[in-house]
Amino acid sequence: MDADRRVSQLAAPEATLEIEGDAMRCVGAWTVDAAAGLEHWLAGRPRTRLERAIGEPDGKERTAGRAGISIDGSELVALDTAGAWLLQRMVGTLANAGRRPVLTGFRPEHTALLQMVGEPAMRAAFPAPASAPGLLARVGRLAWTRIGRGSELLEFIGEVGIAAARSAVRPARIRWRPILYNIRTAGFDALPIAGLLVFLMGIVIAYQGATQLKRYGANIFVADLVGLSMLRELSPLLTAIIVAGRSGSAYAAQIGTMKVTEEIDALRTVGIPPLDQLVLPKLAALAIALPLLTVYADALGVAGGMVMARTELGVGFPEFADRLQHALYLSDFLVGIGKAPVFAAIISVIGCFQGFQVAGDAESVGHRTTVSVVQSIFLVIVADALFSVVFARLGI
Amino acid sequence: MGEPGRAREPIITVRALCTRFGEAVVHDGVSLDVCEGEIFALAGASGCGKSTLLRELILLHRPDSGSIRVFGRDISGLGDEEALALRRNWGVLFERGALFGSLTVSENVGLPLREHTRLSDRLIDEIAAVKIALTGLPPSAGLKYPSELSGGMRKRAALARAIALDPKLLFLDEPTAGLDPLSAAGFDELVRQLKELLGLTIFMVTHDLDLLWRVADRVAFMVGGRIVGVGTMQELSKSQEPLVREYFYGPRGRGAREQAWKRK
Repeated sequence: MDADRRVSQLAAPEATLEIEGDAMRCVGAWTVDAAAGLEHWLAGRPRTRLERAIGEPDGKERTAGRAGISIDGSELVALDTAGAWLLQRMVGTLANAGRRPVLTGFRPEHTALLQMVGEPAMRAAFPAPASAPGLLARVGRLAWTRIGRGSELLEFIGEVGIAAARSAVRPARIRWRPILYNIRTAGFDALPIAGLLVFLMGIVIAYQGATQLKRYGANIFVADLVGLSMLRELSPLLTAIIVAGRSGSAYAAQIGTMKVTEEIDALRTVGIPPLDQLVLPKLAALAIALPLLTVYADALGVAGGMVMARTELGVGFPEFADRLQHALYLSDFLVGIGKAPVFAAIISVIGCFQGFQVAGDAESVGHRTTVSVVQSIFLVIVADALFSVVFARLGI
Repeated sequence: MGEPGRAREPIITVRALCTRFGEAVVHDGVSLDVCEGEIFALAGASGCGKSTLLRELILLHRPDSGSIRVFGRDISGLGDEEALALRRNWGVLFERGALFGSLTVSENVGLPLREHTRLSDRLIDEIAAVKIALTGLPPSAGLKYPSELSGGMRKRAALARAIALDPKLLFLDEPTAGLDPLSAAGFDELVRQLKELLGLTIFMVTHDLDLLWRVADRVAFMVGGRIVGVGTMQELSKSQEPLVREYFYGPRGRGAREQAWKRK
């Protein structure tokens, strides 16, 4: 084993305990490197060597109650805390077995170390970890924390709403610079990946539709298929999912790290509300950037469909564009774009909320970032489903 | 206090060390020796290159030129195995503790033992508890996470981790920074005790004058990437070097020195 090899290479100290009747001798270097071997040796099977050594006091001593046993340390080459602890543990075992260990011949520094390690306070120093709760308790606790989280989220949404209203009343307090910066990072910088993804999606839709449409000779309707599915559903949804992965996670990680390093508290103390500085600009920027990204995604998705329609179905670009005019209404476009600001609000609020939920350490930042992405994608899809139901009822 | 004059083996030898970060020269020919069994302090103003020297000693940064020998071995161009062997023989206390936030204090202290020895989990937990008690923390601290501890307790927990493998050499980076005076004084005492008990050699970087007076056997004083004085605090305080005098005879330096005399 690799670890074994490494350990044995680094350390070749010899440590042994020689047992002769009622006399024990510690020999060699009782250090952390030798402790593993010693521990193993002492706990040898079937009965521990220690038990064997102390287990058979003769009858006379048994009646005397306590039989002395000497432990000689004059041949110790080195002793460190690990070795000292092992020795102390042995002494404790002997004492519990009714023997009276006597330490002899230890060097003063070793005696000091043994004393320090063996202080009574230290022997009590192993608090038992709390026992694991049962299934019912775990379920209950989980439900309780979930309810708590939910109400905290509602609280956060309320606070953001109030802060937004305050900014709307006093536009002078709006922080334009971070808004513009966030539009660039969340919107402009996402153009390549969002464009590529929906373009490929357009190709996939057209290709899947092509085999079916060809059978009925309805090739031209590929424009309906691509246009409607892209504009109404796929491009807003895909764009939102990409942005949730790119920017929602970044929001959670940024705010979370700021919380760990107490920058959030610092903002408060200099009189800048963290919501104004960190959340509102992101919300506003995403509410602007996501609809724009969606328009761009509409165009590229349809373009992907057009490319596929020409190669697979022989529908040229002019025919495709002509058919698109008849197939689509303005409402189809607006339905898609209209969802985008809602998705933007979900992504930014969840991302920021999870960021503020970070407590303590680096692992918490990672966990909250993951949760923010999963939750915002989940909620975006739920919202999309709700939109579909509502639009169907309204007949749009 | 140490016994200057007694010949001891140098554990760390630095010769003609030069370091640059781009245009900025951090070390300009630093040489120093740290002897076995002493508490050696590297003092100096912020940004004079103290911490960088520490990082170079513990193999976290590579100097541009010059040689560093630790335990008699040249540490430049060590292989992974050799570097590991060296690292096992020293412990490092980082300025902000650098405890792993996802592990409890006890797990933090046990981590080096788990990684480098084949001890049973039970024995590791016990040794961790011994180290935690050694550094003056209550037993209950072992089950807590670093984020639940105060700054002083975190320092002690980090110290417990640094001595987990019973190193021969201990590096302390600003051990008292961020502690209140009482905790800092307690920490001074702790460092001295541990040195006596475990036979450690300690190399520390600090600008805490109290710590220098009370704990350090020898002090090297660094200004602008050069060592301008080495010796005991008494020797340094009599130095004619203007930069050293400025440091020791500034308002805080004088206070710390008077305190130190009073204690004697």
